[in-house]
Amino acid sequence: MRDITFGQYYPRDSVVHRLDPRTKLLISLVYIVAVFLCRTYWAFLASFLFLVISILVSRIPVLSILKTVRAVLFILLITVIINLFFYGDGEPIFSWWKIKVTWEGARFASFMAMRLVFLVVGTSLVSLTTTPMSLTDGMESLMKPLKLVRFPVHDVAIIMSIALRFIPTLMDEINKIMMAQKARGADFDSGNLIKRVKALLPILIPLFVSTFRIADELALALDARCYNATPNRTKMKVLSFNARDILALLFSLAFLAVIILLRIGIIG
Amino acid sequence: MQIEVKNLSYTYSKKTPYEKQALRDISFTVNEGEFLGIVGATGSGKSTLIQHFNGLIKLQSGQLNVLDIDLAAKKVDYKALRRGIGMLFQYPEYQLFADTVLADVMFGPLNFGMSKEEAHSSAKEALILAGLDFDAVKDRSPLEISGGQKRRAAIAGVLSYNPKILILDEPTAGLDPSGKREMLNLISSLRKTSGKTVIMVSHNMDEIARYCERVIVLGESELLYDTTPAELFYNYDIATLGLDVPHVVKIVKKLRDKGIDLGTDIVTEEKLLERLTAFFGKERI
Repeated sequence: MRDITFGQYYPRDSVVHRLDPRTKLLISLVYIVAVFLCRTYWAFLASFLFLVISILVSRIPVLSILKTVRAVLFILLITVIINLFFYGDGEPIFSWWKIKVTWEGARFASFMAMRLVFLVVGTSLVSLTTTPMSLTDGMESLMKPLKLVRFPVHDVAIIMSIALRFIPTLMDEINKIMMAQKARGADFDSGNLIKRVKALLPILIPLFVSTFRIADELALALDARCYNATPNRTKMKVLSFNARDILALLFSLAFLAVIILLRIGIIG
Repeated sequence: MQIEVKNLSYTYSKKTPYEKQALRDISFTVNEGEFLGIVGATGSGKSTLIQHFNGLIKLQSGQLNVLDIDLAAKKVDYKALRRGIGMLFQYPEYQLFADTVLADVMFGPLNFGMSKEEAHSSAKEALILAGLDFDAVKDRSPLEISGGQKRRAAIAGVLSYNPKILILDEPTAGLDPSGKREMLNLISSLRKTSGKTVIMVSHNMDEIARYCERVIVLGESELLYDTTPAELFYNYDIATLGLDVPHVVKIVKKLRDKGIDLGTDIVTEEKLLERLTAFFGKERI
């Protein structure tokens, strides 16, 4: 449990780590759009290259990046199976009862799989190279225009940073409760599904109670320090764009351009 | 020997940037009926060490034998191991979950394969042993009884399956002074009446001095001292480890500086009083 890497920040000294969080968020937006535009093997190859270059520059071990794929492995498998066996259109290679495997289906399934893996790896690269704090700072800064329509940007940002901040705390809490119940002979790994779900109750109930207790304490601490007493809070670390941010953005836009050109069939 | 630890080492999050060695080459043994204290600054590996004893943390390197079960073996019967060990975590009241106090205390016995009737009677026994009014609390929700009662209910939860070894991690944390004393008296009387082995992790040196026969000191993931409380508090410098000295020992040391030597084996208030009366004569106290 303790070893879970949920795309958790991986400290390294690299260009990617030093990029402004807003740059990374914008690039990931560009990247997500690009991956959804991919329709040919060439386009996926281009996305793959972009991803590999980003990973190499970030100096994060490939293994800990691949670990993030493990979290969606189940969804990945289901997607592939459904698309492969039930796609329907095209020349069948193999068919049995309602199951029909076609070249078209295989192609589509592999595209879906690649898209999913690329999305997960690409976005987790952002969270692996950015601390939760600067990530929410970046989001708050990017959402600033929404203030014009009275959207509570700062409140949303603080809610997000609290949520991120408390993931490890709650993991710790789960770990502690699990250990305590295991010490009393609880068994979480055997029996049928219903038995296993029932076995989770002794974890979920104390966790629920603890979560409310922690939230209550936090609210009290925020109040005690006069949180929100002043309308305009200043920041200790002020975000600023650098030359490398512009270069990185240009690089990602170039990548998007390639994908668009491939999509409308001008190249490839 | 009930617990035998040999060259035990443990590292958290191996092969990640968060890698941290928690225990390094620890060896010691615990005998039946002993009251052992484990002390050390925060992060010295105390919790990691005790969680090895009932297999909550899997052995990485070294040897560990608890209640004649070899934890280095390929297949370990954890259920049998855990049945013999009652482990009480810090703030154990946060682990209560059932609808009623009685059901919560019965959780352990039922997990360890007792029948409903057996579980019920041993839970009742445990609740009474823990100092609770059985009829008053048994049908109440563990969330609505008082803090002190919650802690007692949690203790009853581990006493209910009658373990041979009790392992307590900061059992008095968060209790008021009288609650602390009651808790420790309960533990110490349990040990005397049923001959249980007790291992207690604590930051409170007064408690260690008063109740433990033997102390193990951890520092920087290593076992530094394995000795008696008197020996530890008088002969070793533990202030550098971030550990306090019991009040009784402070008083004795201050008196010695003033030229009044009462000896170096006094760690409890009773003994201090006894020596003081012997030194000054009864009428002058």
